[in-house]
Amino acid sequence: MLEVLIVDDDQIVVFIQKKMINNHEIAQNPISFSKAADALSYLVEDQKHPQQRDFLILLDINMPNMNGWDFLKCLEGHPQKSRYHVIMVTSSIDVKDKKEAENYSTVRSFIEKPISASDCEKIKEISEISHFFKPA
Amino acid sequence: MTKDSGELKILVIEDNPGDFILIEDYLSEEHHALEIQRAENFKIAKAILKKTSDFDTVLLDLSLPDINNTELLVKEILSFSNETPVVVLTGYTNKDYGVKTLSWGVSDYLLKDEINASILSKSIHYSMERNKVQHQLYESEEKYRTLFDSSPLPMWVLDRNSLEFLSVNQAAVNLYGYTREEFMQMSVRDLWADDEARIEETVEENLHDFFNIKVKHYTKNRNLLYIDVQSNPILFGGREARVTQAHNITEKIKAEEKLRHSQERFKALVQDGSDLISIIDENFHYAYVSPSVKHILGVDPEKIEGRNVFDFIHREDRDKIEGKIQYLGRRKSFQLPSYRYKDGKGEWRWLETIISDLRDDPAVNGLIANSRDITKSKVQEQQLRESLERYDIVAKATSDLITDFDVEKNEFQYSNAIYDIFGYSQEGLAPSKEWWQDRIHPEDKQRVIEAAKGIYEHGQKILGIEYRFRCANGEYKYILDRSYVITDAIGKPSRIIGSMQDITERRKYINAIERSNERLREIAWTQSHVVRAPLARIMGLIELLKNQRNNLDNIEEIIDNILNSSEELDKVIRKITIKTEEEF
Repeated sequence: MLEVLIVDDDQIVVFIQKKMINNHEIAQNPISFSKAADALSYLVEDQKHPQQRDFLILLDINMPNMNGWDFLKCLEGHPQKSRYHVIMVTSSIDVKDKKEAENYSTVRSFIEKPISASDCEKIKEISEISHFFKPA
Repeated sequence: MTKDSGELKILVIEDNPGDFILIEDYLSEEHHALEIQRAENFKIAKAILKKTSDFDTVLLDLSLPDINNTELLVKEILSFSNETPVVVLTGYTNKDYGVKTLSWGVSDYLLKDEINASILSKSIHYSMERNKVQHQLYESEEKYRTLFDSSPLPMWVLDRNSLEFLSVNQAAVNLYGYTREEFMQMSVRDLWADDEARIEETVEENLHDFFNIKVKHYTKNRNLLYIDVQSNPILFGGREARVTQAHNITEKIKAEEKLRHSQERFKALVQDGSDLISIIDENFHYAYVSPSVKHILGVDPEKIEGRNVFDFIHREDRDKIEGKIQYLGRRKSFQLPSYRYKDGKGEWRWLETIISDLRDDPAVNGLIANSRDITKSKVQEQQLRESLERYDIVAKATSDLITDFDVEKNEFQYSNAIYDIFGYSQEGLAPSKEWWQDRIHPEDKQRVIEAAKGIYEHGQKILGIEYRFRCANGEYKYILDRSYVITDAIGKPSRIIGSMQDITERRKYINAIERSNERLREIAWTQSHVVRAPLARIMGLIELLKNQRNNLDNIEEIIDNILNSSEELDKVIRKITIKTEEEF
């Protein structure tokens, strides 16, 4: 099973992404967090009761307090990190960010806001999670 | 014995009147000139011997009334008789006893019963003869001993085979510093300083012969001596030995060495030196010119000798030389101003000469002129002057500060730009490396000192470096310091010529540009994110409206959000415009 988490402090962005994820049948009920710290607590809590789930995380970079990078650093320490699949979602992609992302094993892809239909289709093709979208 | 023997003076110690008469008879039978004195007992004999000691012989009867101890009697008489032979007369027939008295030191031993005139006379004469020979032997030994001991030449006797000392004289003790006792524990090998093999060989080859060898010895204090050794084989107390005279020639050798050195020095100075030495007579004619003239001026000495000195001196320089020479006689030695001198090829050479007035010295009888060819340095001096003039002109023409640092003296010289650029007046400057380093900005100082090591430690010739330098008013100026290193003959930096350009304006301008570039980069990055955020929202919402209209519950709310985001975007863009105008 693949659970989708949306981490972004902009409520309109969260709204758009929820709709897109739903409509493109990536997940029925994505869970959203306006603070990265809350998303992290959720994942830590989940580890206490492992249910053999994978997580697709749409992660904004620029957020107050804990930003996207801080969040990624915390994920690196988790024993279950191979089950986390992070898509960095940012208003403007620059080369520096792409280089920085190479340091984190959980990052699968970059999306420039707003998330488009073709972005959603590409998400389904990411090799680590593509098997969740194949017809049974 | 013949009757013409010389006069005999004899003391007869005999208590028995009969025996005395008998002896007297025997003696007068054989001798004409006879003086006999009689002592009746030991006490009288002692008294007589104390008074007179010129007896030729003493005849002693062993049985005297006032003494029983024969041994004491014999010894006492011997000691009083003072080397006069003593012949013992006795009635005892015991031969062994006679031998014993001989061992105490008497000359002969006669039995009274056996005595006759000729036996007695013979015994007396033998004793006297033997005594004389012994005495001569003793004297000759004594002479030899005196000769050995008091010889001013150090001497010693060595065992011929082991070379151990058997005897040394006082002079040897004085010269070497060892006591006699120390010498007796040593062999002559202990004196040798070096060259042992050669000495051993000589000793071995001449084991039973005279030899003479020059060697080096150490004294007890390890002073080195040069010794001329003469050694003769002798028998010494029955041992094969050799007597050696050690002639100390250290002073002589040293003096010879000194003389040789001084001769070599003189030769080197006069013949091979770079100086030209000549002797000039009172009319200024050359009496002698050293052979070095050949390679200094390319002329044979014979060509110059006899000629007038002034023939060779440049016409323009003659006056100043003559002006100097008039002090002759008042000063022993003076230097002539440098002058031009015609060499073998007719070219002018610059010479510098010191004149020493040795007209009083019969060995010289003239003036000694010691001249040196300074053409090279004259030319260099000229070049240097020209170069310095050029340097001065450049220093005046440029607005840069020109510095000239003398490494050895640790002294800076500055052009006037030191005032124009930095406000330091030339007076009151402490012109040292430290003064300079103190004024370098603390943040730049270490970097500049490190870079300067390239010059002092790695033979770097050119250094260009930017740093801040403190002005008299405490402000810092940016300078571009370009240094050029002048090295001495062995490649060590001797002077550093620097030009310091004030690049404060340029540096400030560059700093401003760098700062504004940095700001622009920051603005561009943040603005693109800030601008893109509302735009992305608008784009996302429109995409939903376009493709998902049927799945949306509240279209009004979406449209409101589009409007809000558009207004936000408008605000952001206006802000950028205002900010950009502010910055420039």
